[in-house]
Amino acid sequence: MTDTPLLEARKLGKQVSGPEGELTLLEDINFTLLPGQSLAITGPSGSGKSTLLGLLAGLDSPTSGEVLINGRTFSDLSEDQRAQQRGELCSFVFQDFHLVNDLNALENVMLPLELKGVVERKEIALHWLEQVGLNERIKHFPTTLSGGEQQRVALARAFAVQPGLLFADEPTGSLDHANGSRVIELLFELNKNISTTAQTTTHATSHPVSNTSHGAALILVTHDATLAERCDYHLRLQAGRIYQVSTDGQQSEVTA
Amino acid sequence: MMSKVFRPWRAPAFQLLATALAIAAFALVTMILLRAELEGRFAVQTAEALGGDIILSGSREPEAAQFSNLSKTASKHSQLIDFSTVLVQGETILLVSARAVDANYPLYGNINIANSRFASALPVKSGPKPGEVWVDNQVLDRLDIKVGDSINVGRKALHVKAVIRQLPDQNAGFYSMNPRIVLTRADLDATDVLGPGARIHHHLMLAADTGLVKSVSQTPGIDALKLRPDQSLETTDNAAIRSMGPLRQLTLWANLAVLLISLLCGAAIYLATAQRVRQGARLAGLLRTFGASRYQVIVRLLGSEFVAVLPAALLGSAAGIATVIGLKNLLGWSGPLEAHLGDWLALAFSPLVLWAAFALPRLSALVRVPAIEVLRQGHRQAAVSVQAELLAVLAGPIVLASLLTRSLVDLGQLILLLIILGAVLPAVLWPLLKGLDLLSTRLPLALRLAVRRLARRPYLTLPLMASLTLAMAILALAGHTGNALLENWRTTLPEKAPNHFVMNLYQQDLPVYQQWLADNQALPQTPYPVVRGRLTEINNIPVREAVSKENRGGNRQLNRDLVLTEASELPASNLVVAGLWHASDDQLRGNTVSVEQKLAERMKLKLGDKLQFVTSRGKLEPTITSIREVDWNSFSPNFYFMFNQGSLETQDTTWLSSFWLPEGDGRRLAELIQQLPQVTLLDVSVLLAKTQDLVSQASRAAELIALLLMFAALLVLSSALLDGQAQRGRDNALLRTMGARYGLLSRIAWLEFLILGGSAALGATLITFAALYPIGTQLLIGSSKISAWLLLPTALAVLVASGGVWLSRKALRTPPLALLRNEQY
Repeated sequence: MTDTPLLEARKLGKQVSGPEGELTLLEDINFTLLPGQSLAITGPSGSGKSTLLGLLAGLDSPTSGEVLINGRTFSDLSEDQRAQQRGELCSFVFQDFHLVNDLNALENVMLPLELKGVVERKEIALHWLEQVGLNERIKHFPTTLSGGEQQRVALARAFAVQPGLLFADEPTGSLDHANGSRVIELLFELNKNISTTAQTTTHATSHPVSNTSHGAALILVTHDATLAERCDYHLRLQAGRIYQVSTDGQQSEVTA
Repeated sequence: MMSKVFRPWRAPAFQLLATALAIAAFALVTMILLRAELEGRFAVQTAEALGGDIILSGSREPEAAQFSNLSKTASKHSQLIDFSTVLVQGETILLVSARAVDANYPLYGNINIANSRFASALPVKSGPKPGEVWVDNQVLDRLDIKVGDSINVGRKALHVKAVIRQLPDQNAGFYSMNPRIVLTRADLDATDVLGPGARIHHHLMLAADTGLVKSVSQTPGIDALKLRPDQSLETTDNAAIRSMGPLRQLTLWANLAVLLISLLCGAAIYLATAQRVRQGARLAGLLRTFGASRYQVIVRLLGSEFVAVLPAALLGSAAGIATVIGLKNLLGWSGPLEAHLGDWLALAFSPLVLWAAFALPRLSALVRVPAIEVLRQGHRQAAVSVQAELLAVLAGPIVLASLLTRSLVDLGQLILLLIILGAVLPAVLWPLLKGLDLLSTRLPLALRLAVRRLARRPYLTLPLMASLTLAMAILALAGHTGNALLENWRTTLPEKAPNHFVMNLYQQDLPVYQQWLADNQALPQTPYPVVRGRLTEINNIPVREAVSKENRGGNRQLNRDLVLTEASELPASNLVVAGLWHASDDQLRGNTVSVEQKLAERMKLKLGDKLQFVTSRGKLEPTITSIREVDWNSFSPNFYFMFNQGSLETQDTTWLSSFWLPEGDGRRLAELIQQLPQVTLLDVSVLLAKTQDLVSQASRAAELIALLLMFAALLVLSSALLDGQAQRGRDNALLRTMGARYGLLSRIAWLEFLILGGSAALGATLITFAALYPIGTQLLIGSSKISAWLLLPTALAVLVASGGVWLSRKALRTPPLALLRNEQY
């Protein structure tokens, strides 16, 4: 691993206007994440987990502080510039899968590659669908797939671009235990193997992929404490502030 | 209670549904009331032109049974007698057309009279009193008398009380070549002019309600009257004026508009309800979980939905009524609303019928939602009975159309066409969409996503595309035919159409006449030489043998002198439909004649037939070389028989001419009469003004209907486009998380709506072209010409695309963050 932070949050804060005045959702969030590291964010409902994920992924703008990716400010960019950065670096796995219903499984996986202009998108997509065990269902549309299958397609879509940053928002939240476990196993296994995959697929692509041999840095929002323990770091959000959780379950406030 | 009624209004989907229903109610109510207004006004115009709602004419008085049968249900009746007689003043003898009227004459409209030769016209509601006679200007001029003098009509001396300017039922006078007089029936016996064998026309005129007119106009009603061979019956329903192009076309067009609007609104309500059902399924499942029976679900969901849509229907209806009242004031149409009880019932029920047909089957699916629905994640479509939905959607417009128009027979063809289109359009559009879907794998991303959005939502795309196609096609057709109609009117009734006809001009009078025209800046039309003659033989067979008795009965032309003319040029209001117009060398081969089409059909005359006419100078024996279609509404001199140039040279000819002269200068006309006292001058300016007024009102109404149609179509279609916004918003947000720029999303939206609008425009243009011949030539207009209206679907496609993108602006701007919050978009 290199010492250059891939993702850095500096004094990150988010306030919104409500009927009773300004409401602080997040305050003074600071942490860094190196390539290949994994980070779990937990917290009770309404603690700001999704808000933090949105800020880190550039889906939303902070009201204070900044987000840096590879040492460059990300949060100050325009929406179109952030979208371009996301396309280059980030992937997402959502609780509700969010596949495009008008596209079949293969096309869904090909979609981000197409947006990046990758020529061999079909081969790459087929490879990742095989990795998630759906090579027999590539022509199926989302409405004909089960929840577990849809989330596996979403995983294939997320890894197909070999992202530097993978954001996963409650990836098992809509799945039963068996399917949820399988998806999580796949998530970590694929991320571990991504460096190998990168080496085997990048030679065939005409477009540079973002990932290094470290695998993607994973930011995982979850309610599941067991799942959080599998990550390198575990941050807990409470009342808009962030606490680091140690392996013995003790939490201490993270400061700059 | 009120809060319960308006609670559903808080839901955006219900707001959409309510808006669609309010627009539907507004459009339907406006259309129904406007149609009732138009029909009412045309009925009055027609009745005025005829002299009554029902006219029974014959050569003697109607039978007692006929009189009793008709008059018992009529609100008012009048009997009058038309006959020809001779007035004698000093040594001058004048043949006049006389009308003896009773105290009820006229049933409709006013008689315009003047107190002296050059005085302004005054409208009066009744005819002359006993002992009085009203006369045309020509009578004063030719007999050299003035108002206040006495003249003898037969044995009775009558006091000349007024000058006739205009009779409301001008038709009779229009055909008469003689000056007119009007006297009372009370004086008729004393005149003793109607001796045995006198040729008279007896008219029984009745003012009756629509029901009686309709029953008398149809075969059983006519049969019950047992008409004598000499009798004919005319009603406002079947009168010639009613079948005149403009009125029939306008009625047909209004019916088309009503049906189109109901379909468009139905489509919008259907789409809005689909969204509503998706949102209501969870609640229905929850109610079932709590143990609610189906009945309780019906009361709770369907009942509250029904109560909640009522204000929307009422609001739309009230707006429609207010609009029509406003339009009436704007157009200067006086009087209360013309709508009958049937119209009001249609008004009350039609929006609800529309809701029941397009919303209820889908809403009723909520009753079948199982309790387990509450445990399911995500939105699931409640099971809809496809058969019930299809039946309702197909039957709805038919029931509605018959309810609204009250004329299912007239709309039969149209409904059949719509049903065929309703089946054919999806059958054609669906494979097209599937084909595009299959091809889309090779298309660029933006185009592929646009195609997929349409192809993967057939339940949304097909009704929308079919509605758009039909709307565009009917709009283009209506616009095209409406435009053609107006063009036709403008052509046949130019601004300075002739308002005076001059008859009995002799050859030697022409220089004086032409000098008078030049001196007074009158705009003359081509003068025609006129010869009076009687048709005696067809192909050397006497005409009474050649033409069957039943055909002869309807041909007044056989029983009187015909007006024959010659011309080298085909008049502008004529069209040769068979044979060739006279060639310059026809005279070398003998006389040729061109015959009016309908007369030729009645008398079974065909090209090559040899006719014989007897005139005061002997016989004319022309061969038929052409058949002409004549526009009798053109206000130009028209003739049944037109000979080739030179055929009438040896005959006793007079000339018939027409000219336009500005209104209100009677002195200049008097000069003409003084210089040429033998001529007959017919002033048709009042009739012309009336017709032009009718044309103007009809075209203004047509424009308003077109605007209303456009308004309804665009608003309803816009409402329908909102249905897929949630999916679009979610997809756009997803694409943004993957790095898609705003430009790509915008491009996808434009392509989606351009494909939607463009496909509909293409279909509509094809339908318009296909329908133009059968509808255009047979139902609406005489000929089909390519017009700019055919580009309307293309223009509408651009409008639909722009509207679609505009309505998608919220979906385009959906923040990607919404995906994390699982928001409703």
